[in-house]
Amino acid sequence: MNVENNKAQMRKGILEYCILLVISGNSCYASDIINKLKEAKVIVVEGTLYPLLTRQKNAGLLSYRWEESSQGPPRKYYELTDKGREYLAELDKSWDELVESVKLIRKK
Amino acid sequence: MKITVSINIGGMAFHIDEDAYTELKIYLRNLQRYFAKEPSSAEIMSDIEARVADLLKVRINDYKQVVTIQDVREVMSILGTPEDISDESGTGKVKAGNVGYHRMYRDPDNRIIAGVCSGMSAYWRINPWIIRVIFIVISLPGGLGIFIYLILWIVLPEAKTTAQKIEMKGDAVNIQNIKDSVKQEFDNVKEKMNL
Repeated sequence: MNVENNKAQMRKGILEYCILLVISGNSCYASDIINKLKEAKVIVVEGTLYPLLTRQKNAGLLSYRWEESSQGPPRKYYELTDKGREYLAELDKSWDELVESVKLIRKK
Repeated sequence: MKITVSINIGGMAFHIDEDAYTELKIYLRNLQRYFAKEPSSAEIMSDIEARVADLLKVRINDYKQVVTIQDVREVMSILGTPEDISDESGTGKVKAGNVGYHRMYRDPDNRIIAGVCSGMSAYWRINPWIIRVIFIVISLPGGLGIFIYLILWIVLPEAKTTAQKIEMKGDAVNIQNIKDSVKQEFDNVKEKMNL
């Protein structure tokens, strides 16, 4: 048992949820997602994001469209699909439950 | 003065120093190998390349037109090594162990005579004077050390290119590099024999 490992496990657990949350706000480009996640200290290295985005896209939770960019080649803009929104709603509920559970136990 | 290479990353053209190019190539191949088990590895790699291009683009301007090894290292630390990614996403159960391709060369940069001892020490990552002293000691009675030294001088190639210097130190190199260097060696032989 070590606390760093435990903390890392917790962060891993909410990583996919956080990605969906960020995208649910606004359709966004990979670097927007990265900036948000880094700001929230959910990820440290950017490489973590890409396989997860691709997996979520393959699972039908996300879709993307190409958008022209003034500074270079076209960029991928991600947005949630209907299935993604349902999935996110489930996770929202589950997160609230977890927070409630911890709150309840902490009080005692 | 340095040699630069021009490369295309994510549809953008860059001039990059030769050493930086070697490092970036090895890095991208390690990532590619790590993501190979994913069903859409090609897509992941093209997304990552697009990000590398973004990150490199802000590191060059009219006064600094060439990508340096420092830039590449910064980008690598931002994106993370396969190990970092595996630690963080937790889904990668397989550790992205690099097959450290590692071979012995003569090291021309730290040589006293022909770089045999410094090459051996780079290979084993020890102080070159340990090997030098051993050679001197076994040379004293009958000159055996001198004989071995001469043989090694003939047998061991000199690390001339950046890639060879990386191999000499055994930095992260992978299966693809082994293939490449075998091919390179084959080409060298072909060249020598004028085939």
